[in-house]
Amino acid sequence: MARFRGLIQAAATLATNIHLPNFAKGGIYQGAGKAVCVPGLNCYSCPAASGACPIGSFQSVVGSSKFSFSYYVTGTLILIGVLLGRFVCGFLCPFGWLQELLHKIPSKKLSTKKLKPLTYIKYAVLLFAVVLLPVLVVNDVGMGDPFFCKYICPQGVLEGAIPLSIMNVGIRSALGKLFSWKLAILIVVAVLSVLFYRPFCKWICPLGAFYALMNKVSLLGIQVDQCKCVSCGKCAKVCQMDVDVTRTPDHAECIRCGKCVGACPVDAISFRYGLGVTGDKPAQSTQACENK
Amino acid sequence: MKLSKIAALLMLPVLALTLAACSAPKGDAKGATSGDAQIAELIAQKPSSAEEAAKLYQQLLQKENEIFASDNALWEKVFLAANKDTPMIEDGKNYGDFLLDTIEGAKDQFAADELKTLKAGAQQVKEIEDKLMALEKEFPGCGSTPGEGESVDASTAGVTNGESGETKFPSFKGKDLDGNDVNSDELFSKNKVTVMNFWFTTCKPCVGELGDLEKLNKELAEKGGQVVGVNSFTLDGNKDEVADAKDVLSKKGVTYKNIWFKSDSEAGKFTSNLYSFPTTYVIDQNGNIVGEPIMGGINSAEQREALNKLIDQALAKSEQ
Amino acid sequence: MLFKAVKPVVQVALLIVGITMVCFGVMRGEADAVLAKAIRLCLECIGIG
Repeated sequence: MARFRGLIQAAATLATNIHLPNFAKGGIYQGAGKAVCVPGLNCYSCPAASGACPIGSFQSVVGSSKFSFSYYVTGTLILIGVLLGRFVCGFLCPFGWLQELLHKIPSKKLSTKKLKPLTYIKYAVLLFAVVLLPVLVVNDVGMGDPFFCKYICPQGVLEGAIPLSIMNVGIRSALGKLFSWKLAILIVVAVLSVLFYRPFCKWICPLGAFYALMNKVSLLGIQVDQCKCVSCGKCAKVCQMDVDVTRTPDHAECIRCGKCVGACPVDAISFRYGLGVTGDKPAQSTQACENK
Repeated sequence: MKLSKIAALLMLPVLALTLAACSAPKGDAKGATSGDAQIAELIAQKPSSAEEAAKLYQQLLQKENEIFASDNALWEKVFLAANKDTPMIEDGKNYGDFLLDTIEGAKDQFAADELKTLKAGAQQVKEIEDKLMALEKEFPGCGSTPGEGESVDASTAGVTNGESGETKFPSFKGKDLDGNDVNSDELFSKNKVTVMNFWFTTCKPCVGELGDLEKLNKELAEKGGQVVGVNSFTLDGNKDEVADAKDVLSKKGVTYKNIWFKSDSEAGKFTSNLYSFPTTYVIDQNGNIVGEPIMGGINSAEQREALNKLIDQALAKSEQ
Repeated sequence: MLFKAVKPVVQVALLIVGITMVCFGVMRGEADAVLAKAIRLCLECIGIG
């Protein structure tokens, strides 16, 4: 499966942005599909978007004066999280795919191993920019701003603001400081993506943060057969998310890309799906292995 | 091979970025000098048919609007002065003369070179108005039916009315949020300008500018204009939505009319097709949409200026 | 390794919680709120401004 990852990513991106003619028309899809959340980070202001971005949806629900929490979106995310975990990041998220493509540009590549503390930023982004601030910072009629969408999300600029403003004079003249700020974020993320592998997923993405928490309880897991494992360390070396799969197969940063599965010389690593799948199948004792 | 593919893929967003960065709104940089010559040329034209006359009429109108547009801030001051000091323009009096009088009356507010610009502008307006009057005399009605073919006004982002350059706002029969009947012909024809603001209840920037629109409504009332709100949630008169909208409106102290119509009516479809909010249209006395709608909140100086420009255009059209 | 024992329970519980939350959210009109926002763009909210 991991071999077809590029294809699956392309297909998922196309599926979440199926209304391509809207790019030329300069409108957006306004059908009922927009009531449903897509799994990845995909702005619903994209002319072609077929569904709603879960982060955008969550913020628009909690930002309105009627609600202060979204059961609908959280429930959807829990379901996707339990069913797939961060597999979404590795296979289905359009913005993750974009960062990967950018990383294919030949340049000096930098390791993120020493930058591990930065991976905790995304939890703060999730907690503050997505959940708390939109509810707590409100105007006189009880409405809050979608802080993440408004001030942080580079995907909104790429998929929404840029194509819409190219096709529409009115929107073009509405572009101001806010847009410049977000365009700057997009450019920084794009440049960093060339140098680092998936910097936005690792450090900023609140959706990635949620799925990261769900990774521990996801039905989809990676299993390491300790009996077969020869501790060569190739899996850890090939992992671009800085995970040592033999130690923590359900690590929050693992996006289930499957590179380690392919890299293992003794086929000790495999995808597993089902209830109660625990990452490591440790040898209770060396004897247990030998008995096999 | 693979590399070139990737490079091509990457070029797309880069291209998009550059385009977006370069396409920032361009000001009205049209030089006054070239405009002068064009105006003189237009005034010299003698149309032979009603169609030609109508076309010329529209071209002249546009030139007139360009005059105001090119020094918008200055003209703003003039219009303000006009409100306080001079009575409304008398019927039949040339609008250029009216402007000249107003400028004369408020000349201490302007620097010498500003005065020069304004007077030159007003003089041109006067000449244009004379020509317009002559045209109207020779070909009655040419001012209200714009010519076919080459459209003079830029087509709007809304519904375009294929034949003429002007786009009528789809006529409708609806109700205001208190349940009183509203019909578009009456709504528009009673006011020299109607600023139509499309919003919805859970849109924070839309709600944020309601207070400013209320102020604008008071200002416009003095000029014979109005602000009208259309809350896209309240189409078809959904009771809960109307109640929610009224709640927000009262909290924001809005007194101007907010209306709804059936979503399957032409105006309803027009509203449903809008996808960016807030959006503000300016409509003249004849029910025509003036210029391009303003998208996004009217919170920056540029947006405010753009709106004022549209309002002035609508007023100018209504005062002919 | 207590977690190992309870993991399937947690997974089933979360699936049930997830489905319940989605249903509850739809019932109180959240799906409509999402749709309303996703087809009408508040420009400032997506960083156009």
